[in-house]
Amino acid sequence: MSGIFRGKFAIFLKIVTLAGVTAILSLLAQSAFASGESAIGAFLIFAIAILNFTYFTKFSIPLKFFVPGILFFIAFVIAPIVFTVIMSTFNYQTGNYISKDASIEQVLILGVEPDANQTTFDLVSGKDIDGNDAVLVSDIAGKKFFISTKDTITDVDAAKLTINEYGVATSAPGFTASSPDELAANTTYSDIRYKYKDGYYIKIEAQGVGAVFRQTIAYDSKTDTMKNIITGDVYKNNGRGNFALESNPQKVLMPGWRSPIWFENYTKLVTDSRIRTPLIKVFIWTVLFAALTVLSTFAFGLLLALALNRKVRGRRIYRSILILPYAMPSVMSILIWAGMFDSEFGAINNILHTHIAWFSSATFARAAVLLVNLWLGFPYFYLICSGSLQAIPSELLEAAAIDGANPRQVFRRITLPLLLQILSPLLIASFAYNFNNFNLIYLLTGGGPRNTLDGEIAGATDILISYTYQIAFGRNIHDFGLASAISVLIFFLVASISFYGLRKSKVMETFG
Amino acid sequence: MSKWLRENLWRHAFATSMCVFSLFPLYLVVLSSFKSGGSLQLSSFVPKEISWDNYKMLFSSPKIPYLAWVKNSMVIATAVAVSSVVIGAASAFAFSRLKFKGKKFGIQLLLLVQMFPAVLALSAVYVIMERVYSFAPSIGLGSQAGLILVYLGGSMGVNIWLLKGFVDSIPAELDEAAKIDGASPVQTYWLIFIPLATPVLAVVCLLSFIGTFNEFIVARLFLVEMNGRTVAVGLQQFVGGQYATNWGAFAAGSILASIPIVIIFLSLQKYIVNGLTAGSVKG
Repeated sequence: MSGIFRGKFAIFLKIVTLAGVTAILSLLAQSAFASGESAIGAFLIFAIAILNFTYFTKFSIPLKFFVPGILFFIAFVIAPIVFTVIMSTFNYQTGNYISKDASIEQVLILGVEPDANQTTFDLVSGKDIDGNDAVLVSDIAGKKFFISTKDTITDVDAAKLTINEYGVATSAPGFTASSPDELAANTTYSDIRYKYKDGYYIKIEAQGVGAVFRQTIAYDSKTDTMKNIITGDVYKNNGRGNFALESNPQKVLMPGWRSPIWFENYTKLVTDSRIRTPLIKVFIWTVLFAALTVLSTFAFGLLLALALNRKVRGRRIYRSILILPYAMPSVMSILIWAGMFDSEFGAINNILHTHIAWFSSATFARAAVLLVNLWLGFPYFYLICSGSLQAIPSELLEAAAIDGANPRQVFRRITLPLLLQILSPLLIASFAYNFNNFNLIYLLTGGGPRNTLDGEIAGATDILISYTYQIAFGRNIHDFGLASAISVLIFFLVASISFYGLRKSKVMETFG
Repeated sequence: MSKWLRENLWRHAFATSMCVFSLFPLYLVVLSSFKSGGSLQLSSFVPKEISWDNYKMLFSSPKIPYLAWVKNSMVIATAVAVSSVVIGAASAFAFSRLKFKGKKFGIQLLLLVQMFPAVLALSAVYVIMERVYSFAPSIGLGSQAGLILVYLGGSMGVNIWLLKGFVDSIPAELDEAAKIDGASPVQTYWLIFIPLATPVLAVVCLLSFIGTFNEFIVARLFLVEMNGRTVAVGLQQFVGGQYATNWGAFAAGSILASIPIVIIFLSLQKYIVNGLTAGSVKG
């Protein structure tokens, strides 16, 4: 057994493992660089270097223990956090999602217009005499036929063509029609702009059909502007990820790109009343929700712990039943509660003989959220409190009783203050946890009720984190920039709450 | 009124009512799972009929790939639990037993970063994995392997922290003795520490399993394909749809999925409570 970790076999195993890992990571890095994800590629190279360096040298022994953990930590914890902070300074949302180069490319592809009559032609795709992609176009109305490639257009005499019963030319001298199999293998032919007259071109719209378009937008890389060639309108880079019309900055070309806007996402939180008002509303409810939850779960947990502190008959049975809400997977139990609160088919209205639409009224929805969280949370404090009650030295309580204090006084003057002192870090931790209790809100009410018709994003039961999720993923517009800014804000709030709690618990002092 | 009654009546009354409160939703789910109907309604406290239709539906309906969901959850949660303990144990050992520069900074960083809730970095993780998908679809967005990587990374901080707490509670005399006998830290780790810590590592492994099994939102965002979902996501989608509520089958499905978790939880009760209070009560 111990031989595995010593000697030649161990070295052999080490080399094989490291070589395997290095090979896999190198392959990944290579394809990352190939598709332009240089940041991810660079991280993979870094990982390869540090792994090999650590395990093949005696540079640092602690590092041998840390390296795998550190790499995962950087990739999936640190990097997303850094990325979130960076995103919060960008205009990064639906419509401004891609890079600038991709945006320019898209704007140019979209910056075309059909001719005045919206002319379409029947055509056949194939190759011209030199093997270039070409189309044989039949202008049936004008009784004209021509072969067109990217750069050339050649009229063909109707007498030399094979024309089918619909009047469409199917073959011509110097033109080879492609078979369906050849077309399927050719990925580029349908993207080509086949030449037509007066600056227009023919674009294949469907199998055998082409339409006439011309380019209207052109990009000038020197001035970084877009120009409408036909009307002469100039669209300037507005510095916020869009080309905007000079005379009317509201008119922008879509799609835009993700562009740095520095602190605008943060200042918007304060200055834009459409964002500020719901944010304040949500913030107040978040604090209220977290505080009431901690208060109610702690009160019920403590009361239970007190009730069952003595050798009450059946204590073990009580305990194993009371722990059940905590043991159930919370996703399941939240969904069960959601079903029970259903206004038509739910058990709650059923038992109370009421017809309350629980999740349509702000007050009832909030009450439901608090009740369900009480159910989920009180067993935790029951377990903690009954453990801590045992930790209070009985001499203290006895001494107080001898001094003539009645049980109520003993509890209020001795037990409770001591408990609060012991448990305050856990109470603060619970507050911080509920401050971000996303699952409960999302699964129970979805943050609602919210007035979506008025374009409201924040619902009556939305807490900060579910509101953020709503901004980032919930609507048709995904605003990652704004969501990231709120995320950073929440981080500072929770960090200061938790830091306060940690200082109280003295964990900080026991380091090192 | 006798003395016993006066002292104990309120205790039993309160404990019993809390038990009713605890059990009510659970009892209702059990009832609904045996009822052929689509609501969480209470028609009577005693079941009138016992129908296995909902359970049969889970295993036969082509619309509900329940077994595939369970399998996915098991695979993902097991992979995450085992790998995170293997990786985390080494770091926790180093934090707990080795002396090195930057140790205090490391622990503080670990703590600080945990305060950045995972859900908040969700949009960043999403965008990063979307990019990974562009060059390696098998570990990018939408793949189970990608989800496992994200969980593994996300749970690293919590697990190292939790493991460190447990490792601190294992007496250090034995590995100090090994050190005196000339064992290197790597040898001490494999030959002394790992055999000693195996029960503790198993507990953390199971806790991590429960946590991953319970995770919903990342899985929801990641796994789009019907057959690739986890139980939590699958069942949520099942009752989440506005018009397709079938609570009977949901009830049956959630009972089957919950039983193993509840059993693991109850058998680890002692460790969980200790883990919850460790580090805070001792101060």
